Parts: sequence; C-alpha cells; structure tokens
Amino acid sequence: MATLKEKRTCGQKCEDFGRFVWNSDTGTLFGRTPEKWVYISLYYVAFYVIMTGLFSLAIWTLMYTLDPYTPDYQDRLKSPGVMVYPPTYVEEDVVLSYNTSDKASQNKMSNYLTAFLKGYNDTVQLSNINCTRGKYFIQDSFDAPRHTKYSCRFDQSMLGNCSGLDDPTFGYNGTMPCVIIKMNRIIRFLPNNGTGVAPHLNCTILSGHRNVDAIEYFPTNATFDLCYYPYYGRLAQPSYVNPLVAVKFHLVNDREAKIQCRVVAHNIAYQDSYEPYQGKVVFQLKALK
Amino acid sequence: MIKNVVLQTTHFFYEKKITKSIFYLQDSYNMFEMDGEVDIKMKKKKKIKKKDRLEGMKKEMDIDDHEITIEELEMRYTTSVTKGLTSRMASEVLERDGPNELLPPKGTPEYIKFARQLAGGLQCLMWVAAVICFIAFGIEFSRGTLGCFDDLYLAITLITVVVVTGCFGYYQEFKSTNIIASFKNLVPQQALVIRDGQKNQINAKELVVGDLVEIKGGDRVPADIRIIFSQGCKVDNSSLTGESEPQSKTPECTHENPLETKNIAFFSTTCLEGVATGTVINTGDRTIIGRIASLASGVGNEKTPIAIEIEHFVDIIAGLAIFFGFTFFVVAMFIGYAFLEAMIFFMAIVVAYVPEGLLATVTVCLSLTAKRLARKNCVVKNLEAVETLGSTSVICSDKTGTLTQNRMTVAHLWFDNVIHAADTTEDQSGQSFDQSSETWRSLARVAALCNRAIFKPNQESLPIPSRIVVGDASETALLKFTELTIGNTMEYRERFKKVVEVPFNSTNKFQLSVHELEDPLDLRYLLVMKGAPERILERCSTILIKGQELPLDEQWREAFQTAYMDLGGLGERVLGFCHIYMNEKEFPRGYKFESEEMNFPTSGLCFAGLISMIDPPRATVPDAVMKCRTAGIRVVMVTGDHPITARAIAANVGIISEGSETIEDIAARKRIPVEQVNKRDARACVINGGQLKDMSSEELDEALRSHPEMVFARTSPQQKLIIVESCQRLGSIVAVTGDGVNDSPALKKADIGIAMGIAGSDAAKNAADMILLDDNFASIVTGVEQGRLIFDNLKKSIAYTLTKNIPELTPYLIYITVSVPLPLGCITILFIELATDIFPSVSLAYEKAESDIMHLKPRNPRKDRLVNEALAVYSYFQIGAIQSFAGFTDYFTAMAQEGWYPLLCVGLRSQWENVHLQDLQDSYGQEWTYAQRLYQEYTCYTVFFVSIEICQISDVLIRKTRRLSVFQQGFFRSVKPSLASNILVLAICHLFHFNLLCVNPLCRVQWWFVPVPYGILIFVYDEIRKLGVRRYPGSWWDQELYY
Repeated sequence: MATLKEKRTCGQKCEDFGRFVWNSDTGTLFGRTPEKWVYISLYYVAFYVIMTGLFSLAIWTLMYTLDPYTPDYQDRLKSPGVMVYPPTYVEEDVVLSYNTSDKASQNKMSNYLTAFLKGYNDTVQLSNINCTRGKYFIQDSFDAPRHTKYSCRFDQSMLGNCSGLDDPTFGYNGTMPCVIIKMNRIIRFLPNNGTGVAPHLNCTILSGHRNVDAIEYFPTNATFDLCYYPYYGRLAQPSYVNPLVAVKFHLVNDREAKIQCRVVAHNIAYQDSYEPYQGKVVFQLKALK
Repeated sequence: MIKNVVLQTTHFFYEKKITKSIFYLQDSYNMFEMDGEVDIKMKKKKKIKKKDRLEGMKKEMDIDDHEITIEELEMRYTTSVTKGLTSRMASEVLERDGPNELLPPKGTPEYIKFARQLAGGLQCLMWVAAVICFIAFGIEFSRGTLGCFDDLYLAITLITVVVVTGCFGYYQEFKSTNIIASFKNLVPQQALVIRDGQKNQINAKELVVGDLVEIKGGDRVPADIRIIFSQGCKVDNSSLTGESEPQSKTPECTHENPLETKNIAFFSTTCLEGVATGTVINTGDRTIIGRIASLASGVGNEKTPIAIEIEHFVDIIAGLAIFFGFTFFVVAMFIGYAFLEAMIFFMAIVVAYVPEGLLATVTVCLSLTAKRLARKNCVVKNLEAVETLGSTSVICSDKTGTLTQNRMTVAHLWFDNVIHAADTTEDQSGQSFDQSSETWRSLARVAALCNRAIFKPNQESLPIPSRIVVGDASETALLKFTELTIGNTMEYRERFKKVVEVPFNSTNKFQLSVHELEDPLDLRYLLVMKGAPERILERCSTILIKGQELPLDEQWREAFQTAYMDLGGLGERVLGFCHIYMNEKEFPRGYKFESEEMNFPTSGLCFAGLISMIDPPRATVPDAVMKCRTAGIRVVMVTGDHPITARAIAANVGIISEGSETIEDIAARKRIPVEQVNKRDARACVINGGQLKDMSSEELDEALRSHPEMVFARTSPQQKLIIVESCQRLGSIVAVTGDGVNDSPALKKADIGIAMGIAGSDAAKNAADMILLDDNFASIVTGVEQGRLIFDNLKKSIAYTLTKNIPELTPYLIYITVSVPLPLGCITILFIELATDIFPSVSLAYEKAESDIMHLKPRNPRKDRLVNEALAVYSYFQIGAIQSFAGFTDYFTAMAQEGWYPLLCVGLRSQWENVHLQDLQDSYGQEWTYAQRLYQEYTCYTVFFVSIEICQISDVLIRKTRRLSVFQQGFFRSVKPSLASNILVLAICHLFHFNLLCVNPLCRVQWWFVPVPYGILIFVYDEIRKLGVRRYPGSWWDQELYY
C-alpha cells in the first residue's frame, strides 16, 4: 500500500498523465489503442443509434395514438383560469396603473387593448357565424368547410363603450378605465355543466370602496354567452375566439381600488389558494394624477 | 526433515534446555537497537516535537540499573534495600515523577473523532456541493428568481446527510470503543511496599522510584524493579516479549541488555511463582512497557484501502462533474444565456453529479457487515476496516496467544520406547494414546506426585483445561494432564502421602519428593523425580519397559537420545521422569528424610519416561491458515519467541508447509555450505531478530519476496514494525494479529490491526482496528470472506447508485439546451436518492458471492479498483442512457396526453415559466394559467420519477450479478424486500395521492407502464452483456463491458 500512498510530485503526476495520453510502449492513446478507440466508438454509435431509433419509435407511436382534436386527459384543466387585460404586473400582483396626465402611460394601456382586440375586429369576425344566443352550441359533426366546426362570432362592438371603437383610449385618458376579462378556453368545457345558465362576471371591490363610484359591464348582462361553449379545439375551430366581458370603473376620490372579478358558475372553482387565477382575477386599479 | 533440524539443534537443546544462555548470547534481544532506523522514518513525516520525544526515549533506554552494585543503586535512589525509602522521600519523588500508571494513550478528543467522520472523501464532495448550492442560492435570491429555495433545501439536505451519517459512524466507533473499555480491569492494583522499614499495602499508583517492593506468585509486577532478593521467582514475560516460557528472576546481573538480564522484572508482567524483593527503578510511562505503548502512539494511522478507493471514486466523480458542468457552461453561453445564468447551470450540474445517497449506502453496507462480523465475534472499531481484511494479502501473525493457546500443554510422551502423542486440543476432542501399559501407570504416578501445582478451589464446574492453577507453566501442564488422564489428582496425591520434597533449583536441575505408598501394607517409600532429561538419565540405572525394569544399557541410552532429539526438534520442552521404591529395611516408616542433605538415594533410579510440553496451536488455526493460503493470503509468523519453537509451531499450523525447506535445511541435505544454496530453492525461511538487525531494508524486502513462507523469531516491537513496513513496501495490504504490548506498534502500523479480545492487552486493543472477542484466529477467515464480499457488493451498490445519476442529470441538460419545461425537479431527485433508492442499494450488500471468493487471489490494490472506468462508463452511458430515454419517453407521453406535443415543448421554457402569462395555449388551443402549468410540471416530475424507479427495479435485478446470469444467482433472492418497499412507495404515491413532499401530484397509472419496456430492455441487454462476458473471457467485450 505504501506505494499507493506515496505523495507524488506534480512533475510525476504530469508525467503519468502524459503517459496516459500517449503510451508509446503499448501504443495506447488515453488508455486505448487507436484501433480499440474505433471499436468502442462504433459500439457507442451503434448503441445510441439504436436507442434513438427506439425512442423515436416510442414517440411516433405516442403521436400516432393521440387524438388530434381532443387531448387524452385534462387533469390540470378542470376549471378555467381568468385573466384581466391589459395584464400589467408589479412583482406578482396585477396592477393596472396609469397616469391621467401622462399620455405615454395611457397609450401603453390602450395600445395593449387595441392589439388584444385585433382578433375581434368586425371584419375578422365575418368568417364566424352568428349563433343562437343563450344556448350551448353543440356540434357533433364537422359541418363547416375543410372538415372543421363553426365558431361563433364575437364582435368588438359587443363591448360597447369599452370596444375602443368610439373611444380608442378605452377611458384611460380619464378616470373611467376599461379592463377586459377573459376566461381561458378548455376543450369541451361546459359552464354550469349543461344546465343552460350562462356564467356571468361579478366584480367586487376588495378595498377602496369609496374610490369606485360605479362599475359598468359590457355586454351589459355581464355574461359569457353559452353559445361560445363548448370549445372543440384549435383544429376543429381554427377561428374560435373567447367571449369577453369588459368592465368600466368610475374612479373617484383617491382613484385607487383593489378589485376581484369572478366568473360565477357552479362548476368554476375559485377558492384554490395555490391557483390565484382560477375562476377569478384580483387586480389593483390606479389612476395616478 | 525433522532429522535435519535435530542435527542442527541437538547441540542447542542439550545446552539450552538447562542454561538457555547460549541461545541468548547468539540472538541477543536487541530491542532498542533498531531505534535509529525507526527514528529516521519518523523524522521524515512527524513533527520535530515527536522526533525529540523519540530521541529522548532512545536515550532513556540506556538503563544500567541492573549492572551497578546494590550499594550504588541505594545511592542513586537514596534508598535502602532493607528499609526502603522514607515516607517523606517517597512523597517528594511521587510529586516529582507523578503516579505510577500508564497514561492512557492521548485519546483523540471526541470532537476531533466526530470531525473526522465528517471529512471523508465523499463527505468533502458533499460539503463542496453544499457550498455551491449556497452560492447559487445567494445569486438567485439576490436576483429575485422564484423557486430558488430548491438550492437552499438541497444544501441543507446535503449537510444533513453528511452529519447524520457522520453521527452514525461516530456512534459505531463509540460503541466498539466501549466494548474495548469494558475489558479494562478496573480493580486498583495493590503493591506490598517497604517504607521506613515497615511493610505496607499501598495502591500501586503511589509507587515511586527507589521504593522497595515485594512480589509473590500471582502478583502483577507493579513497576520495573531491580531484583534484590529472589526465591524461585518466575515471571511471565509473554505479553512483553512473546515468550511463553516463564523467566526466572534472580539478583545476579546476567546480561548487559536490560531485557535479557535476570535481575530486572518488568511492569505489568505477572509473577507466576516464588517471591522476590526489589527496588523500583522506573515507574509509569518510563517503564519499558510504557515506552512501547508510546512507540505505538507515535506510529501514524494508515488510510484504509476502502478510504483510498472512495477517494479515487470521488476523483472520478469530481472530474466528470466538472467536465460536464464546464461543457454545458460553454454550451449555455453559446446558446446565449447570461453569464450568471450559465454559472448557475454549471453549479447545478456539478451538484447534480453528487450521488447524495451513496454516502448513506456505503455507511449502511459497511455497518451491516460490521454487525454480521460482530455476531461472529469480530468487533470492528472503524467501519472502513470491515473491507480491509478482504483486501489483505499478508497476515503477520504473532504466535503466542494468537496461533497458540498460550498455555503449556503436554504434547508428547516417550515410554516403552515409543513416542506417544497427547491430545492438545482445547476441548479434548483429539485422539488419546494407548494407556494400557504398566510403564504409563508409573510415569503418570511420577508426573502426578512430583508436582507442586494445585488447582485453585471451587472450579469443579469448569472444564479442566480452563481451570486456574497455582504453579509454574510446566507443572500446570502436567497437573492438567494427569487430571485428564488419571482423574482426580488432588485425591490421588492424598493417597500417596508426601514425606519430603526437594524443590527444583538451578544447580540440581531436578525436583523430587518421597511418598508413602497407597497400599497401607506396603511399607516401602516411593521416591519420584523429574527434571532435565539428561540429568535424570544420569541418575538412572534401569529403565521401565512394558512394566519391566531393564538395565539401562547403551542401546536404551541411544533410544533415549533419539527420542529426546525428536521431541526437541518439535520445539517442545522435555522433562525426564524417574522413580525408585526404597528398601523398607533401609528406610523404615518414620525414617527422617532431610531435604537439605538428601539422606536418601538420588541415583540408581528407574527411568520411567519423557514428557514433552509445548504451547500448542489452537485447534482452529491450521484450518484457518490453510483457508488463508487458498485465498492467496500469505501468513507470516512474527514472534518474540525462540526460532525452534516458532518454527515448530509454524510447521504445525501450516505456515511452513509440509516439504518446505529453509536454506539451512537444503544446505544440510546437500551437505554444502549455506552460502552455496540457491536462495530461490528455499520456500521457507526463519529469520531471527539478531539476523534481522543486520539486514538492510532491501535485504528484508528481498527475503520477503523470495521466500513465500516466512517466520520471524526473537523480534522486538520495532522489528515487527519494520517487517510490516517492508511488506507494505512490497505493495501488500498487511493485517497484523497480536495480543501483547509488544505487538501494539505493529498493530497500529498495519493496514488492519487485529487484537485478541480475551488474551489481548489493553495496549494491543487500543492500537487495533479489529478485535477478535473469542481469540479465534479462524474468525479472521470469516473477516476476509466478509471483506471480499462487501467489496464486491459495494461495487454493485455503487454501480446501482451511480446509474440513476444520468437520468437525474439529463432532464436538466435537455432543459438547458432544448428549453423544454423542466422534466425532473431537485426535490424529487433527493427523494429518489435518499428515500426510495437506499433500500435497494443496501439490499445488494446482502448479495451472496458469485464465485468462490475464498479461492481467488486478494485484489490488486493498484488494478482492481472499487469504481473503475468500465463500471462508471457502463452505468452512466449505457444503463443510465437507457433510463434517460425511458424517462423522456414517459415525460413526453405525459405532456402530450395532457395537451403539449413534444415539438411544442421544445423551446417552450421561457413562456412556460413566465409567471405573468396566464393564458398560454397548448397544442389543442386550450389556455393554461401559470399555476396549471406548474402542476403539469410537477406531474412530469412524478412521471419521470416513476420512470427512474421502474428502471431502477430492473437495475437492481441486473446489479445482483456482474458475471453470472441473474437466473443462476436466484432471481429475487436478497432484493425481494427492497423491491417490495419500492413498489410500496410507488403504490402509496398513487393510491393516497401522496404528493412527494407536497408538490408532486397524481401520476396516472398508464404512465407507470410507459417505461416498462425500457426496464425489460435494460434487463435483456445486461443479460446479453453477461452472456458475452461469460462466454468470451478476455475478449474485447469482456474488457470493455465487465466492471
């Protein structure tokens, strides 16, 4: 053992390493003869080629078994998420803050909404059909052209005062800003489980009650109409758009409030503390002077 | 062969049996002459302080207290050999010198022992990893990155693992230290001291230099003393010098060497018989024994082979980790990550490479073996020593008490002109000789009557060989022998009433006693005598043959000589026995026998026979030595005893095998001078201390190389050390067994020191790494077997543990390079490493051997590494790779079935991890909030975890063997419980929605089956590998794929 324990000098170590790199006695390079390196490399190449082949086969089989229209499982999508737009964050909280005297900050908000609503442009929506309101739009077959399903039309104009058509600033030039609430889409999700009651939006003020004079909803009944449900997926409904509800807040006094907007439906959960955007969204609205 | 020995030794035996002096002169016991050499070695590595101490020690050795006259001695110590010291003087000296006790070897402070547990190779790796984690945590925390707490948890876990396993190891050491402590004799020793002319019984601790002490049979010598007066005093020096024969102590200075002279008795040796008075010349640590003890503490502890292997392994791991880390650092920089981010990747990869569970696995495996050994009476002080025995290639064994019983026993008898062998086994299981002869009856009677030894009372329940006897070693042997053969000796002696006796003295060299006869009608007296055979023969005129008294003519004398030489050649101590019936007319009842004048016949006696005694080998030893030899382990005898005895025992136990010759044997056989003998022809070699002293270390190495069978006799503690060092220089891993104080330096120096639990001295036990509680040399064989097994099994465990490192690492690499959502989280990795995979890897420690490991050579420490390239490469780049593919297949399946196609996943990372993005669309157009995506990610962790686990089930099956097919080894043997536990963990995860550490949600049952084909693939692939390895040994396949 003594030989193993000998403290070797750096020079000896380097020499050893040098011999390891190229040992002229045995003709080995890094411990193997070049011939053996070729063999072992070929072996590994073959090994990895086969393994990659098997892996590809596995993935191909996987893709082959997948339904292109509906995912196999929706374990994480039992209940849709809800979000407020424009989604401006300060750290982890949604804070919609703008300066009434600063054009730039107003434009930032309104430009976001304008862009957001591009897909809801009346001309874009022309390709979608007008559906019967108040009823689920259930399509079992692919009746639309190119083997798709119809999508219902949701026009920008349905958002009334918050559509940005009359007021391109969406109220951000003053103290009555608009926000848009969107509920995430989930394939084959039926709000209220097919009972025929449309989910509606309910915004409540969590703090700063005295700063909010009034809340206006557009569409005025504050519902997400049933005809937009169920959603059949990107492939079946390529032109589908989420229904929206816009909310206009009349800010007074300090012009600051913490608001919770919740989509009310009995199969939409909202109380899971780990999922802050489940069925509801909490945000702060600030109109600075 | 024996004849040759006898020819050489005849002269020796004739002279020495009586005087011993020739022998001493030839091989003077130069205990301290090797000091210089040891010193040089010490100088090299030890601090100056230690060097000074040793230098000082050497000087102090020049004792001349035995050479000066008593008057000078009185002057020197201001004492009186009649009245002793004055009390005042004694207390002054006590104040100056301190108490007369051996300071316990400066015990390592407990905290250092504990710290040592935290500083092994793997531990250091984990400390470094923990520090890196803290740094990464610091960086991420300051940048406000979310989820950075993983690093903190990881760091804390790493530290916890190190500390917990450290506590475990410490506890193990603590426990075995306690076992050792329990052997210590706690009764304070008393000494009879004369101070101010008055006898006092005082605690031996209070003795000082100059004190006049009295010792008697049964006492332990309380200090080094110069004998002033002695009456038949004999001491047992075996723990100091290894001589099993008692040494008589007399006031005359017989040798200039303090160890050889008869007028010094040494501390801690036992006075067997007689009484003596002496002046204390050294106390406490300044005694000879104290100096040997401090020599032992001056010898550094060697690193265990397993520690070296683990360090080698850590080097490999660290090298690979840094290589991988650096590669991906460069890749990350190239892809366009920020420097700091790339740095964090680098650290994460390095940390991911640390096998967190391995430390626990190794510790548990070793302690399981330690436990198994403890059941077989081997207590291991240091866990790592468990494996050392397995690597051992040389065992340097002490003779007395280790190979032998350290108990003189009657071995042979010569009567009726035949040598009879007595049963020397410890449990009397051997063959007995023919006891029908009339001569035997007479011989037994002489042996029983002419004997002063007696059993201590109340030992009837004990087997005869283990009863305690008062008397010297040969008389004890004879007493036990007669007790065994003719029955109750005490009662037998009563039947033959003793009339007079003449004790043994060095001028007469015999002992005699006169008895009345058992038959009350027979009024003759019987004189029985025993002593040195040639002296007894001189006094005989007849010899008893088959009960007939025949005249002792030349023919019988020759027969006697032959028998005497034969027995002497066996290294045995021979005694002659004779008797005579005294004429009742000349010596009527009531005749006044005078022991001083010896007014009775002491010649013209009738010779009864010879009885020879030896300290016989333990019954289990020859078999154990044989097993060691088949296992390729060399057994070298290193003893302080005489060469003839050593050689005889060596031949007896198989250290020198039948037919092996020494150079001297060859020379004698060929009738040529010793110098002309080709050294290579001699398998065996007996070297004594005197020869060793004149040998350079190269010569010693050469001797060890050229003679496979070595016996070293008359060696001093330093020489034992030198022999061990020489073996180590030759690349051997050396085990030393011993029991005496004289063995302790060598025990410490050895790679593994093995002390005897019953016979062993405390010093030996302290210096040893392992203790044989039953003093059974055969336990060493068990130790070797277990050590080899654990080495093989640790290899399997490590291979198993390492494999999963790759499927744990690749998710992160793919995450960095391809930017998929993270497939496997760090907490899950820890869960695998520290929870689910511990059981299977430990279960491999129970695996039985694949082949007869006791027929293999010891592993070559330079070539057969614990973790070699083949093992690492095969585990990492083949099995690990297959596991990674399995994991990714399952991961992509879980993602795709929940809506995220593989191609979408690629490059998705930044969006996926965007906390502010609440409507990320999957492949089907569904929108996901961040929390939903996070849960999906956790699902993936579980899925990947399940994949690794499924593959690891396959892995543990394939790791059961390295060469044999699993079917040959028994498919489920030894891994059943661990498999069951793993499946249970998975089932619990599933059935009870058990979130692994609250984050991993339910994994669908379907996803359990995705990796199963890969598991089967692993199994089949490895079976093919093993088949190739078995079929084509030495082929390219074998070289590259056998680990």
